[in-house]
Amino acid sequence: MNESGGYKQDAIRVGLLWLGLVVVLEAVWFATEILPRQYAEEAKIIDDAFNLLTILGIPVFSFVVAMLIYSAFRFRSRNDASEDGPPIKTSKPVVVTWLVVTSALALAILINPGFVGLAELRANPEADLVLEVEGQRWQWVVTYPNGAEVRDELVLPVDTRIRFDVTSVDVLHSFWVPGFRTKIDAVPGLVTSVYVTPTELGTFTDDVNLRLQCAELCGIGHARMVMPVRVVEKAEFESWMAEQLTAEAPAAEGRG
Amino acid sequence: MRPLIRAVVLGLVGYVAGAWLTVAVRGGSPSDDVAVVFGFILGLIGWLMGIGVWNAWAREWFGLPAKPDQATGWKRYLTFNTDHKVIGIQYLVTFIAVLLLGGAMALVMRIELARPGQDFLTLDAYNKLMSMHGILMIATAVAGVLGALGNYLVPLMIGARDMAFPRVNALSFWLIPPVAIGLLSAPLLGSFDTGWTAYPPLSVVNQGGQVLFILAVTTFGLSSILGGLNIVTTVATMRAPGMTWGRLPIFVWGAFCASILSLLVTQFFAASLILILLDRVAGTTFFGAAAGGDPLLYQHMFWFYSHPAVYIMVIPAFGVMLEIITHLARKPLFAYKAVVGGFWGIVGLSTIVWAHHMFTSGMAEQLHAPFMALTEAISIPTGLVFLGALGTLWQGKLQSKTPLWLAFGWLFNFAIGGITGIYLADVATDIHLQDTYFVVAHFHYTIVGGTIFALIAGSYFWFPKITGRMYNERLGKIFAVWLTVGFNLVFIPLFWLGVNGLNRRVADYPEFYAGPNAFASVAAYILGAGFLLYAGNLLWSARRGPAAGPNPWNARTLEWQLPSPPPEHNFPLLPEVVGHPYDYGIPGSAHVAPAAAEGGEE
Repeated sequence: MNESGGYKQDAIRVGLLWLGLVVVLEAVWFATEILPRQYAEEAKIIDDAFNLLTILGIPVFSFVVAMLIYSAFRFRSRNDASEDGPPIKTSKPVVVTWLVVTSALALAILINPGFVGLAELRANPEADLVLEVEGQRWQWVVTYPNGAEVRDELVLPVDTRIRFDVTSVDVLHSFWVPGFRTKIDAVPGLVTSVYVTPTELGTFTDDVNLRLQCAELCGIGHARMVMPVRVVEKAEFESWMAEQLTAEAPAAEGRG
Repeated sequence: MRPLIRAVVLGLVGYVAGAWLTVAVRGGSPSDDVAVVFGFILGLIGWLMGIGVWNAWAREWFGLPAKPDQATGWKRYLTFNTDHKVIGIQYLVTFIAVLLLGGAMALVMRIELARPGQDFLTLDAYNKLMSMHGILMIATAVAGVLGALGNYLVPLMIGARDMAFPRVNALSFWLIPPVAIGLLSAPLLGSFDTGWTAYPPLSVVNQGGQVLFILAVTTFGLSSILGGLNIVTTVATMRAPGMTWGRLPIFVWGAFCASILSLLVTQFFAASLILILLDRVAGTTFFGAAAGGDPLLYQHMFWFYSHPAVYIMVIPAFGVMLEIITHLARKPLFAYKAVVGGFWGIVGLSTIVWAHHMFTSGMAEQLHAPFMALTEAISIPTGLVFLGALGTLWQGKLQSKTPLWLAFGWLFNFAIGGITGIYLADVATDIHLQDTYFVVAHFHYTIVGGTIFALIAGSYFWFPKITGRMYNERLGKIFAVWLTVGFNLVFIPLFWLGVNGLNRRVADYPEFYAGPNAFASVAAYILGAGFLLYAGNLLWSARRGPAAGPNPWNARTLEWQLPSPPPEHNFPLLPEVVGHPYDYGIPGSAHVAPAAAEGGEE
């Protein structure tokens, strides 16, 4: 067998190994549930982006792994540093193909999920409900439209587009509900916004990802700067919100 | 030992004098922020003068003859020695020690994280330990490869007798111990609890240890800038005859590109920290929102350094790994020019991608799309590094040696690090993943899996050159597998944790996250134990290993044509470079004209 024939055979073998790895890893990805449960429309957009990046990332990763496995076994030398490999300094077609493929991949993910995901997240600037959120060391204070100030549980109506207007009174915090996927920092002197449209009912006690977690290091209490989240039916939400107003006055006194 | 004792004494005297003078002028306590600032500055000057800046250098400014230290043997390493090889070893030993210290801190953190609840460290102690671990490891990654291997190898590889500015080089190193002392003594002033990122307003209102962080890191930045200046000048002006840019060994390109970055951007980190210092001690309000300041300004300035910084860490590591791969695959470095082009592409793009760290920060939304695009574009030049590595392995005659085994682990890790980076460059996925364990896993894959693997692989590959002796190959390979498998076992579960809602920088977490955390903790202890094998092998072999000879790898670059270890001033006769350094397998090719290879001629 001449040399270039040997190269071709190696290329075919490593190609098959690559293909095999891609099939196995993609199958594993589709068969397993890695992502947590979605509780909001925004979670779907973000999870779709995550899925697409994984589906495209697996062939890239598999290529590197296939090359490494094949090289380790096939090209291992039995002689000690006396024998040189073939003097292949470069190959213009390989370099050009590599550049074209990597550039095309980068462009593809930039368009989708990149720009597409951004457009979807920003598609609707309307909100049916606006809640004001204030971070302070180390708790969240949420003000509802009727003026009720809530600190112990974030209750939200399902199927409602909600805008959170977030700020901080002391240091940086970050507003994050993993079940919704969305996150925005709470910055002193600035009001930042994030949109959430809850689609599923649920409570923190059933799913740990229904929690408003501070995600920006803010000092001693950072780890425990958590507010449980509960998504309820719209009607239940209205009555709950009204209750908060009546419950508030004595509660505030009690806190002294 | 005398210069070191003198440096410690003068450093302490300087600190006390600075702090006392401040108290004498303005009252208050010597632990006030301002007193710490002036104490540190005078202490730093005292330390430097004591270690040898006065004797070897500053005396000349006053018309006195310089008295460079004449110590020989191991004592050279404790003095203001200007030999680039001594300085390289000083960096190497220092940063491997810092690496082990930072790693030990990570193990303590993993004890707390092994199970939910707060049971070993207080929440506050955890935040402070995590912050210390972060900054020590960042420093190791910035200066480990570039400072140690860069100093040791760049002059040897280009055929120079030393660096362009040998005394500046010694100064770069001797600025490092005060950085370590400053950081490690921060607990005396309540330590710092803001991570290595030191975001205000927290870093303006927390305890006084933050001031020591600012002073130490600014000093470290000065060391980086001087080191970068030295490497850039050395490569630009001191190449041996015939060592054209097109014949530069790839590690030299890596060190050169990283040094340009470090020269261009380090001052932004120092400047942003000094603004915090002014907010703390001078009553300014750069970051105080109530008085019109802007906390986001800091993040822009900080990441303007700190994103390029990851390339300052990793481009020299690319160089190390490509050297190892090409010498041990015994093939020309595949697509050399494309790889060098890739390095330059990374240098250019790295300074205009910083705001991908800020997609959830509340910065202007119109910045999201351009920074996403630029960040994803950097995957293209980085891909060329993979092309060079994989293309060189292809059809090679792979020598089954520890450094090459580590290079395989490195390619595996960096593939994971690179691909997971895309999830953080994409705005949609980053909104969820920012500030979670996914980020922790990703940057450990790039910085540990990339840079630290290169530091370790390089410490094996050039061990025979540096010590003249060979390490134990079998123990080296066991460690290579241990490190690669152990590292992956620790950090793979963290991706799952991040995706599933665990935020980073927390001492405590809900029960739901217990399983993978326990697994990662156990794996971390196993990984940590492996370093005994690493340290044991290298320490034992440095004294008892078999003599290695000048060129155990039969490699072509210039450092291997000299005795091991190379003599002071390296080349008795400057070598004449006549060809490319990696022309393995090309009949009649040579990198260096035969005369210099024999050495010793005048």
